[in-house]
Amino acid sequence: MATCHDIKADPSVYEKPNKILLMGNPNVGKSVFFSSMTGVHVVSSNYAGTTVSYTEGQIKLGDKNYTLIDVPGTYSLEANSEAEAVAVSFLHSNPVAVLCVLDATNLEHNIKLGLELKKFNIPIVYALNLIDVAKRHGMEINAGLLSQELGAPVIPTVAVKGEGLAEVKKELQKILEQQQNSCSHCAACPGCGSTGTEQDTWERAREIAARVRKKGEGRLSFLDRLGDAMLRPLTGLPLAILVIALSLGVIVGGGKALRAVFLLPLVNKVLVPLFKMIFSSFIPEGVLLNVLIGEYGIFVIGFEWIIALIFPYVFLFYIVFSFLEDSGVLPRLSVLFDNIMRKMGIQGGSMITILMGYGCAVPAIIGSRTATTYKERIMIATIVCFSVPCISQTGALISLFAGFSPLLLVLMLLLSLAVMVSVSLVLGRVIKGKVDPMVLEIPNLLMPNAKAYAKKLMLRMKHFLLEAEVPMLFSVIIAALLKETGLLDLLAVYFEPLVSGWLGLPRDAVIALILGIVRREMAVAPLLAIEGLTALQAFVGGAVALLYLPCLSVFGVLSKEFSPKVALAMGLATTVTAFIVAGLINQIAHLFL
Amino acid sequence: MIFARRKQKQNKEAANSIYYAKDNSKYVIEMAPEIGLLKSLGIVKDAIVEKIMTYKLGGPVLLQVESCEIAVSKDIAEKIIVRG
Repeated sequence: MATCHDIKADPSVYEKPNKILLMGNPNVGKSVFFSSMTGVHVVSSNYAGTTVSYTEGQIKLGDKNYTLIDVPGTYSLEANSEAEAVAVSFLHSNPVAVLCVLDATNLEHNIKLGLELKKFNIPIVYALNLIDVAKRHGMEINAGLLSQELGAPVIPTVAVKGEGLAEVKKELQKILEQQQNSCSHCAACPGCGSTGTEQDTWERAREIAARVRKKGEGRLSFLDRLGDAMLRPLTGLPLAILVIALSLGVIVGGGKALRAVFLLPLVNKVLVPLFKMIFSSFIPEGVLLNVLIGEYGIFVIGFEWIIALIFPYVFLFYIVFSFLEDSGVLPRLSVLFDNIMRKMGIQGGSMITILMGYGCAVPAIIGSRTATTYKERIMIATIVCFSVPCISQTGALISLFAGFSPLLLVLMLLLSLAVMVSVSLVLGRVIKGKVDPMVLEIPNLLMPNAKAYAKKLMLRMKHFLLEAEVPMLFSVIIAALLKETGLLDLLAVYFEPLVSGWLGLPRDAVIALILGIVRREMAVAPLLAIEGLTALQAFVGGAVALLYLPCLSVFGVLSKEFSPKVALAMGLATTVTAFIVAGLINQIAHLFL
Repeated sequence: MIFARRKQKQNKEAANSIYYAKDNSKYVIEMAPEIGLLKSLGIVKDAIVEKIMTYKLGGPVLLQVESCEIAVSKDIAEKIIVRG
């Protein structure tokens, strides 16, 4: 029997009483159900595997409280991946009921899982979700007949719009009450249902699907045709390039515009002068005042770096990325680029996780749980740590290079891609084990639902503000103390051979190396304040920052998801690589210049 | 030399693997690798699948199984044996 092996789950959740499991195929809208029923917001997207661990929340049915558990999506109950193993463990933990979400556009697969679930003899309610999309495809589904076939209530729903949710709750309450009157210990005997091979279940699922579904005039909508075009290389590749170019345009262009028009004036003309005025009115001139409002003061760089430099890019990145996630564009990119990824030793499906790393490495490393083998997980994590700059760092790099030429940004991109390819080629050979080839279900292309999209964006920004703000403030304080107390000059002497000799950077750049340990963008931000930086120095500094140690949060998540040993090894390897590669760039460039 | 060997290998499997089968046609699966995910998605013996296309440069094949589209990597698709 499959148990939950590698997932660091709290085992006590299995022992909780009154659990209702929210289950279903991947990407059928379970997380949307969960958010609206419990009020706990979880991130949902339009591709398989958004929920890689479980989330729990409270719901009230009638006058009783239950724990609703958002179980990772499963195609089967055979534990093909860590996420599926978690689902199976939950089924064996005496839940009182299961709410199984079915995708109306893809009945056969969903009914098959529905049938498998029935074998566990747990009271069950089915929600027939995405009926609006099914209708658009010209499919008419007889929910009453399906309910008869499955021997349990079936409620048609459009979860993103909240349609049918009240009925689902009502039905859940009903079956829970019935169960109390009759054989309540039945839920405690998992797997006592009918047996049959997987083949039989498939046959049965196909039969039922054919009986309850009427196919009418399926006219393809614009989105269906666009979704199809995105899959064909001839039209898909130009569309993919267009999508990437537009995304970059919005993030880079929009970020610059936000900065220039709104945020920089706000910081330089309002916030900083205001705090300068306040503090200088009651604190005498000296070290303390400098630490607060000097050139590197907490209330100067704190605003400059966090509000004007990082925030706009983070905000815009999540606007774009959340849209791509919800629309179903990303799995199409996975399919188009699987051939390249395969040659690099990973598979197309991992592309989504790596792209997530361009926002922040932490969710990307957690998201790598969807990978089916340890080797693939570690490869994704390493690629993200080495060569994928998070959006905060990208924002800082854009601002750093803005003073020179856009060519530097292109060169940096090429450098990161070169490192990505080298890292995966080396790891593919060094690490034992294998990477499972891609098998990917392609979701319908959808227009993101405005409400769900806005909620997700809010959730992510809140998360960023809570998670990132503290370490950012922390590094701002370190920077202010080091610089304004003169401690930096003492330290700089020791680092001089490395910083100035090998890397060719000004002495002050040492502060970037110290802060870069805390947060990635802080390895770049101090360079912005250095006067008279040459283009080469900016590039070398950027290269160090790109390859350098991932931030403290990443260090933490690596220890948790893998082991402290892996985190240490990653830290050491990235740092050494950063100094070697950036130093070589500097030395070689000096031969020619 | 390497190319010659590759070609040979392709020819051997070309006859009946879905990877090299004609696009836009329906096939019955005779043999599919024992992979959980494939089974879960309905790519099993005797199932009817429509092959839509093969992506170039070692890319995946795109299949239509029941009402959903599934991309299957070359490494696996080469081992899915079908009859027309």
